Amino acid sequence: MTAAILVTGGGGVGKTTVSAAIAVTAARRGLETLVLTVDPARRLAGALGIAELGAEPSKVAEEPLLWAAMLDATSSWEAIARRHADPAVADRLVNNDLFAAATGQFPASQSYAAAEEATRFVKDGRWDLVVVDTPPSAGGIEFFTAPANMTDLIGGRLLRWLTGGKMPGRRFFFDRAARPAIRIADAVLGAGLFERVAQFLMDLRTTYDGIAASSKEIEGVLSTAQTLIVTTADPTPMREAIRFFRDLPANAQHPTSVIFNRSLPVAWVGARTADQDDELAANLARWSLESARQQRLRSQFSDRYSTEITTIDWKPTAPTDLDSLEALLTTAGGYSLENLWD
Amino acid sequence: MTYCESSRSSLNLMLDKRFIIVSGKGGVGKSAVTAAIAKSAAHAGRKTLALSMVGSGMGLGAHLGQTALAFRPQQTEPNLHALAIDQAMALVEYLQIQVGLPSYAMFTPAVKAFDVLASTAPAIREIVTMGKVLWEVKTGHWDLVVVDGPPTGQIGSYLGAATTMASLVTTGRVADQAKWMREIQMDPDASELVLVSVPEELPTSETIETLEWLDAHPVIGSRSLFANRVLSPLESDAVGTGVAADAAGLHRSLTSEQAIWLERLPTHVELPFLFGVDSATTVADHLADSMSAVLT
Repeated sequence: MTAAILVTGGGGVGKTTVSAAIAVTAARRGLETLVLTVDPARRLAGALGIAELGAEPSKVAEEPLLWAAMLDATSSWEAIARRHADPAVADRLVNNDLFAAATGQFPASQSYAAAEEATRFVKDGRWDLVVVDTPPSAGGIEFFTAPANMTDLIGGRLLRWLTGGKMPGRRFFFDRAARPAIRIADAVLGAGLFERVAQFLMDLRTTYDGIAASSKEIEGVLSTAQTLIVTTADPTPMREAIRFFRDLPANAQHPTSVIFNRSLPVAWVGARTADQDDELAANLARWSLESARQQRLRSQFSDRYSTEITTIDWKPTAPTDLDSLEALLTTAGGYSLENLWD
Repeated sequence: MTYCESSRSSLNLMLDKRFIIVSGKGGVGKSAVTAAIAKSAAHAGRKTLALSMVGSGMGLGAHLGQTALAFRPQQTEPNLHALAIDQAMALVEYLQIQVGLPSYAMFTPAVKAFDVLASTAPAIREIVTMGKVLWEVKTGHWDLVVVDGPPTGQIGSYLGAATTMASLVTTGRVADQAKWMREIQMDPDASELVLVSVPEELPTSETIETLEWLDAHPVIGSRSLFANRVLSPLESDAVGTGVAADAAGLHRSLTSEQAIWLERLPTHVELPFLFGVDSATTVADHLADSMSAVLT
């Protein structure tokens, strides 16, 4: 059976790098591993030895058991539309100029696309482990709520009410022009644009059965996956990490560990030097303050949310090869991420 | 090629604007910089509104010493009010003020249904939000409105909303609105986009892409660039011993890495990395001090 690890967290904390580090290490411990990423830095793709990552998994040249794929919301959506709608409707959907805008904008859309693709790879059975670098929205919560939100959006009372009836025809839609919502939309969008929006939403509704079934499957995979939160000791990602614990989605596992990336050595806390260059002593004093701040924050966090903490050292440069990715994990402090697959 | 329309010699020039919108990749300190600009303006005696445009407003609120921000402006210190835009309330206000819809049409399902349509059609959500923001500028109630804006990935669609809308709808109230929104945005004496970056690979490349997009799409009167969390290089060549050597080693590697990315950023103002500061309000105060130090 394929195990899944969901790596969540805010933007800019090194979530993609940590996901890759976990995947490289797992592959080197003998697990057939796929890492699914949303946005790799060019240097990270380089570190994995891949110039261009596509939506379908490709083998990492230097690492026999490691595979990687990158999600692109628009192309994933095209695949989803083609899976769940009749061919003619799917053609009309993906060729509608609203499609790209809408799939990029529905709050849940990128997360849903990522969750559906991740589920597909977990169910595929080719891998022992799938590591998912989740989109950085809403502190990772959206990834878990996306299936329900999508089902709601496409099949919910709202759209049914708006389009009038179970599977509405065009005439029914427009005959209800007295409806305030339609009047508002007409006034703001203009009739031409409104018609395109209406057509798009009606086409989208035909995917309901498929998406509802998929959502069930996705929820099953999400609820059994191990979750990790990556953060730095900065205010924005910390708020997102706290939010994840506070609003822990019902279908998510309690996070196995919170990974503090860019951690400074604990030995620097309170460190003082005698008999050294003044500037170096002042420099140590500043970094010592910062290290103490990080430590305060970590212990407050683990006390409050009773969670394991993993610390990854602050590296000045991004990892440039597979060895330096693995080194991020082997030199990490606190809860060992090798426990994830033991 | 220079990306800044005018080289800035003083903070006053920036604070004399009426509308400043701050953007940057997530996690670069956008909210802290917004709060610092707002505090600087308030200290200079300008009646200022700090506004959080997307998300919960918790970030901006924390830097202004508030646990939460509301849709109605609340005073946080002399000369400074703050609010967070609530999408649903902004929509109701928008439909009443801009579209002129009577209040009987404002029952919840209608607004919710409109919300679905708004998510689908391009530029609707953006124009509602930007409409609210620029309405606060237009009323003349504030000397300066400072906005904690969307991340760089979305800034184009927000700043471009008025233009997109003008091309979709050519007559009527919404077209009029798109026109006055564009006039405010495009006035170089009134409006400025402040981009915040940090000297790392992804934020730098995203900032440069945004600047290139802005070169091709004129949507804002003026712009400036801040590099946040910049470390000053050590002057000494001493190696040191023990933990002092380790700290010096990390500091030197970080500053030389930062130098690579600072080099690639066009003309910018540098804000310092703050060591060991716990409180969000202290961060904003320190950044405001740095701004007045480097910009005057």
